[in-house]
Amino acid sequence: MQRILIASDDEFARELIRLTLVGLGAEVRCSCCGEAMERLCARVLFDLVIVLRTAPFFCGRETIGRLRPEGLRRPTIYVISWQQAERTVLSLLECGVDQYLTFPLSLQRLRAKVADNLTGKRL
Amino acid sequence: MNPFDTIGAAIAAVAAGVSLALLLGETLRRRREAGRDDILRRRYLRIAMCALHADDGAVPRFPMLHRAGARLLLAETLAGIVTMTYGLDGTVLRRIVEAYGLDEWLLCRVRRSQGYRRARYLSLLAALPADESIAGRVVRYGNSRCRSVRFQALLAGLAADPTSALRRMEEYAEPFSEAEVAQILALLRRGVLPVAYEPLVMSPCGNLRRVGLSIVRQFGIEEAEPRLLRIVADEPASALSAEALYTLCSLRRPLIRREVRDRVERMGAAERRALIRYMARENYSPRFLHRIFDEGECLYYETIVRSYKRTLA
Repeated sequence: MQRILIASDDEFARELIRLTLVGLGAEVRCSCCGEAMERLCARVLFDLVIVLRTAPFFCGRETIGRLRPEGLRRPTIYVISWQQAERTVLSLLECGVDQYLTFPLSLQRLRAKVADNLTGKRL
Repeated sequence: MNPFDTIGAAIAAVAAGVSLALLLGETLRRRREAGRDDILRRRYLRIAMCALHADDGAVPRFPMLHRAGARLLLAETLAGIVTMTYGLDGTVLRRIVEAYGLDEWLLCRVRRSQGYRRARYLSLLAALPADESIAGRVVRYGNSRCRSVRFQALLAGLAADPTSALRRMEEYAEPFSEAEVAQILALLRRGVLPVAYEPLVMSPCGNLRRVGLSIVRQFGIEEAEPRLLRIVADEPASALSAEALYTLCSLRRPLIRREVRDRVERMGAAERRALIRYMARENYSPRFLHRIFDEGECLYYETIVRSYKRTLA
């Protein structure tokens, strides 16, 4: 079974995304951002990590390196946040994030995107 | 020892003990309530999301709505879903709002509260899918003494009746702040208001122009350049023309224009330096800068570009 991690300090947003992804046939786990997320990623190899904040990527730590083991292409990392500044988006993509989405978010599109991602991995 | 002293000390000790116990009890009660609220909010969210997925025309049942604060939790949950998403089926949420009378209940709370609490209830009302009649019923709060109440009343009106959005924004008496424009744009991104920048940018009303310029900036509408240049040329001394100039910068359009040069000449030294910092952040080349700025300012620009401060400017 494929595994998805949703990381956010905002419990409401985390739950909203989790409920959107129910029924995709993947195990969905949730955690807070920061060290809890990194610890979980060190123990479990996820297929997709959805982070609902940009701060972990700009705090000076090598977050992507901690989420994605060296030499591997997974987990795919999605970041969803309220920030729309082009500079922020570019910085995130440059540091290794695979997709950046902004709030407000279309839940159907997110679900389709995640389903596509998981199907691609299965193939 | 005086027996009265002993009795006094004993009474003080008992009073302190009782106070501590009461304080502890209150803390525990609050913590328990907060925990219960969290659980209830999660349940309401799950039920609302199931209803959105199923969309079978039935109104879901939300448990424990008779509990104090539960109706507010339900309103906050629905408002949270609406605020964070777009493209959801509005009829399902509208059905829930109608079945549980949330709009009427919120209007009642708005009537009975004051100040920021009233603004909070109005902001919830603006986030819920309400019917058009709400727009007329919140008009009276547009005369409130509290600025946030006035603005949230406007927002509730805009959300309930988007067809009259231009008129409502035009009638709003004071200039919108940056934060207020951001809240209007959040409505727009949710698809509540149309993304039609032209009537806004061309309007004689300052507030409408400000919203229009923000739309141009946020969506990167380069076709708006001639209109922006006209604003810069027509109103060389106003704050709005400065905003139009910054919008041109954020679109990264060429600034070697007569209109821009005239506007920059009228700026004070501090304003010019602020513009230089903004231009550095938008990665303008220093090559043609001497056509707009003097030598000292060109050197200042180059100093910013060469330093780490460019990202902070």
